[in-house]
Formats: sequence, C-alpha cells, structure tokens
Amino acid sequence: MIWGALVGGLAGTLVLTTLLRAASEFGLTRMDLPFLLGTALTGDRVRAKAVGYALHFGFGLLFALAYYAIFVVIDESGFLLGAFFGLVHGLFAGSAVVNILLPVVHPRMGTGFTAAGSAPLLEPPGFLLLNYGRRTPLATIIAHIAYGAIVGGFVSLAS
Amino acid sequence: MALVARDGSIDWLCLPDLDSASVFGALIDSERGGRFVLEPELPFQASRRYLPGTNVLETTFSTSAGRVRLTDAMTLPAGELSPYRELVRRVEGLAGMVPLHWRVEPRFGYGTGKTRIERRAGAPVALGGRDALALCSWEAGEPTHDAQAITGRFSVGQGGSSLLALSGAHQEPLVLPTRADAEVRLHATVRSWREWAQAREYSGPWREAVIRSALVLKLLVYAPSGAIAAAPTTSLPEEIGGERNWDYRFSWPRDAAFTLQALLALGCAPEARAFFSWILHASRLTHPRLQVLYRLDGRAEADEQSLPLAGYRGSRPVRVGNGAADQMQLDVYGELLQAASHFASSTGGLDRDHGRRLAEIADFVCASWEQPDAGIWEARGEPAHFIQSKMMCGVALARACELAERGFLPSKHNEQWLGERERIREFVETRGYSESKQSYVRSAGEEEIDASLLLAVLAGYDEPRTPRLLATIDAIRRELGRGPLIHRYFGADGLDGEDGAFLACSFWLAEAYARQGRLDEAATLMEELVLLANDVGLFAEEIDPATGEFLGNFPQGLSHLALINAAVAIEEAQQ
Repeated sequence: MIWGALVGGLAGTLVLTTLLRAASEFGLTRMDLPFLLGTALTGDRVRAKAVGYALHFGFGLLFALAYYAIFVVIDESGFLLGAFFGLVHGLFAGSAVVNILLPVVHPRMGTGFTAAGSAPLLEPPGFLLLNYGRRTPLATIIAHIAYGAIVGGFVSLAS
Repeated sequence: MALVARDGSIDWLCLPDLDSASVFGALIDSERGGRFVLEPELPFQASRRYLPGTNVLETTFSTSAGRVRLTDAMTLPAGELSPYRELVRRVEGLAGMVPLHWRVEPRFGYGTGKTRIERRAGAPVALGGRDALALCSWEAGEPTHDAQAITGRFSVGQGGSSLLALSGAHQEPLVLPTRADAEVRLHATVRSWREWAQAREYSGPWREAVIRSALVLKLLVYAPSGAIAAAPTTSLPEEIGGERNWDYRFSWPRDAAFTLQALLALGCAPEARAFFSWILHASRLTHPRLQVLYRLDGRAEADEQSLPLAGYRGSRPVRVGNGAADQMQLDVYGELLQAASHFASSTGGLDRDHGRRLAEIADFVCASWEQPDAGIWEARGEPAHFIQSKMMCGVALARACELAERGFLPSKHNEQWLGERERIREFVETRGYSESKQSYVRSAGEEEIDASLLLAVLAGYDEPRTPRLLATIDAIRRELGRGPLIHRYFGADGLDGEDGAFLACSFWLAEAYARQGRLDEAATLMEELVLLANDVGLFAEEIDPATGEFLGNFPQGLSHLALINAAVAIEEAQQ
C-alpha cells in the first residue's frame, strides 16, 4: 500500500507540474513552483530550476506519504477522498504554506513589509498566490485536486 | 532590445523577447503604446553616444542648471539572482543641480492588453497576464503610481548618482534587484560587450562603422536558437503615412549568405555556426522548400494581422506577423547554398546530414526554377519570372556542384545540376538582358532595372567583370541612383505609394564596385554612405533621398550586414 502512495505521489506530482506549466503557458498564472523552491537554495537561475524540480518531486512524495498516513488512520482511501484531500491541500498551500511559511524560510522572498535590502527579492505570492495572477488559485487548486485524486486512486488500487 | 529616443524616452521595448508584444510601443502609437520617459524638467539639449565598443547608450543632457549623464543598458545576467529581463537606467550628475522626472507607462500587448499597477515588497509593479514589470529605484525620488503610470521626480547634483532598474518577468514571479546587483550587472554588461567587440578581427577602413554594425547584429541574435532577426521593430513605414509597414522580427534565410560572410569575416565563428545550423534546423518541417522567413524560435507560422494602433506618424496598418512567409521566392536557395559554401570553406566541411539535405534542396531547385515567384523584394502583386531569382537558382546549382566536387554533398545528381544550371544561364542571357538598357532586367521580357541584380556580382553568378555585369552595374547607378543612394526599383509591386532608397542596395553597389576592381568608385561611395548613419552609427532599412530621413524598420540588420561586407570587400581588393 505504501508503494501505491509513492507511485501515486510520483504520478500525481507529474500531473500537477504539467497542469501548472500548462496554466502558465496559457497565461493563467505566473507561478513557477520549481523556480520558487530552487531559488531558496541558489541564485543561479538554471540551477534553481533543476534543484526546484528535484525538491518539488521530493515534496510530492512526502505529501503522498502524509496522505497515506491519513488513509491508514481513517481506514479508507480512494479517488474521491484523495481529490478532497487535494482540495484541502491546495487551499492550505495557497493560503498558508506558500503565502506565509515560504516567505519566512525563503531567503529571497519578499513580504509586504520588506523593502529592498542586500539581496534581490522574489515577488511575494500574496494570499492564495493572487499576486501571480488572478486565476492562480483556480489553477493551483485544480492541479492539487488532480494530485490528490491520483494518490488516492493508487493507494486504493494497491490496498 | 530597447530603442531610446533622442530625448531619453524609451519608445520601444518588447518583452520578454525581441519578437514578443511590446510593453513600450510609443513608436507605433504615441498615445496608447506606452513609454519610459526620463528627462530634465528644464529645457535641455541632448547628445548621445554608445560607450565605445558596447551596446550601452549614454545620453548627456545639458540644461541651464547643469548637466547630467544618462546611461541605458539591457543588462546581461551576473551576480546574485538576476531578473528574467532587466533594463537599467543610471543618472549621474556632471555639473550643477539638475531636476529630472521620470514616468513609466507600461502597456502590455502592444498597448491593447490590460495593465494593472500595484505594489509588491515596496516596489511598484505593472501586471499584464503572463508578464510583469517591477520598477526599482534608488535616489530617484519616491515612486508614486496611478492606474496609468509610475512616476517620480528627483534632482542630481555634481557627483551624484541615481539608478532605476526595470525588472521584467515572464511566466514566473518577479525578481526585485538590489542596487548593488544592478550596478554589478551594468558594469559586467559594459565589460562583456567590450570584450566581444575587441575580439572582432577587422582592422581595415571604416572600422568604427564595421564594429558598430557587428554590435547591432549581435543584438539581433536570438540567443536560444542562434537565429538573427532582420530588425527589432514592426511597421516603421517605408513611406510615411503609407501602407508599406512590415513586421521584421523574423529571421530570413535569404540573409544567410550575407550573414555568414560578415560573421566569418569578423571572426564570429560561433555565431555563424549557430545561425547556419538554425536555418537547416528551422527548415526541416518545410524541407526541401525553404520558407521565406521563420520565427526566431524556429516555428514556421507567421500569420499576419493588423493592430488597432495609430501607427508611426499615422502610417497604418500596424502589422504583426508577416504574410510574405508563404510566398514562393526562388532566390533564397541560391543564398542558402552560397552560405553553405562560405561555411564549408571556413570550417573545412559540412555535416553529412546537412550535405544530404542541401543536395535535396539542389534537386528541388532543378524542379522549381522555371516557376514564377514573388522575387527578393517580396512583391505582393502577381508572381513573375524575376531575373535575379533565376540567377540565384543558377548560383545554387553552381555551389551545389562545387560542394559535391569537394565531397561535402552527395554527387549522384551532379550532372543534372550542371545541365539545369546551363538552362538557367540560357534563360537569363536570352530573356533577362536588355540591349537597349544595356543591363540585365527585373523580370523576363521587361525593360525595368532592379538593384537586386547587384547580387549577380556579389553572389558570383558570373565573373564580376563580364561586359554585361559591368554594364548592369553602371545602369543601376544611372537609373536607380540618387546621389550615393540606390532605389530598389521604380516599377509596380502590387502596393500603393513608393518607398525610399534602399540602404543595403547602396552598400551592395560599393561591394560590387570593389569586386569589379573599381576601387576608387567603391571607396568614394562607401565614404558617402557611412556618413548617413544616425548620431550613434545606426542605419534603418531605407532613406528618403530628398530629406535624409530614415524609413523602414530600425536598426536594420541587412543594412549593417551590407556595410560590413562592402568594407571587407574593399579592404580585400585594396590588398
């Protein structure tokens, strides 16, 4: 069952990444998760993207394991339940993780209280990542619902 | 590439790439297009120059209160996390205390998109779909903004310095730079350009003009692919108020031979290799047919549409995309094979796959040369049998034969290529020469003269000093010349109005003189032409011979390519 979560996490992150990239190409959002994550570790743009993708997939697996733990606790799993988890995950990511926590830990992330200092700053994401485009929350939540559904589906299949 | 007006206003900037939509487009619509104004609040006189050996522009404003120097650069990445694109404007006080003001009016999507202005981390930002701009300023006054613009006022005294950095993002969060990093990038950009310019291998006459031209070409290179844009602008008119307004932010395979010749002569082998590879890569989808132009990223679509904009001094339509892409133009094959010949001579060979594809292109020329085409000038009237197109088909087959003999192309069709080349020569010599005009003519059976026939000498259609080519060069100067300038033609081309004198043709004439051994005429003409550049050494596509006003897109790669090749040819002939 845990392998189902890991495979689901991998496939789900793949789909999530593709959906967000597509949203970016269609002009729905300027959010670039690998870029945001990678620039926490390096100022080199190319390296940041590579590191960011690695971190992104790492987090995708970790979140899948968290989903798995909840599935075990409630003794239930499945496509729809996973999609619901994805919805909550997406809302939480947009409202707290990226908006509040990421600027705290990200050395290059600006906040509403930051003025230009000694390091270049990344544009802060704002509530529900709205700074990166008004349709960013929609794209993010749909991508996370897809992620959750895939993880839930794989866990269900493996159990 | 940003275009800065003489008053310091940035009136043209496309982001993120040269062929993207403009964010500052006042050049083609002064009301709606958007601009970045930075100027003294007092009446001023401005003088400009490029920092020597760079593409960094310096404008000095002189006012009754003192003098300030404005340095403008599109920076290259360096130092800490760099913005996706960055325009840096530095103001330094030289004398007195000068009050200045600035106003950033971003208008995404050529001024047709929605633009919102907000603040992020203390910096004003402009948002437009997948693109965003942040304006970071230091000692340039407190930025204020409304729905239309970001503005500021400040004064600079002697020894003082202010900085404004415009950071652009495309499909990613903005990067808000620090002043130190922006300054580092400005210095690194100056250094990088100087190193590149110093590495150019040219010590002949008109060196300054040649190096400036090389720097222009380098700016026109789309680095991710190696493609070279014809110009960074769209719809700057060939006739003020007329309809001859085209989008030149594409790459034309036709320019391949001129480009390879110029780049290789100046020791730009990496750029030459990248461009040649790009052409053969971009044309894979249309192989063996060559499309007239390709997008800088290699895509073949170039759908033409008109934008609801006022146009440069009322010249409408304002076009994006280029309808010439679908035309049949036979001369491009000659240019490509000529480029392959330059490339093979310089690098000692051709990639085997490239050789095979070039042979297939030669076969295509054999099958196609008898068709009418739109010609080198992309005439929008009925196709015709343009003589220059036929000549270049002959050049294509001659180069294919030479390359095959050297083992760079498969030689199984060599006999056919030779035979067809002879048929082309017979066609040109019997139907493309006018005894009464003493010149080759524009199209079969006509009596009009066309400056594209200069390329018969440059591309080696025949020996440069044949009686017919000597007479043709004289006829072109006599019938199409206006002082040192040469018009392309005076006949109908399917469009209303007339255009100006074509600068590339004028430089081609100088090169043709040099190749015919007429060195005095070549050098004299070149001296006159080089003086026609604007205050910072740039050329447009055309000039109005009556007023000296530039016409057409600007700065024009082909004009600068022709300048380089003419200077190099004269230098070689002198030696």
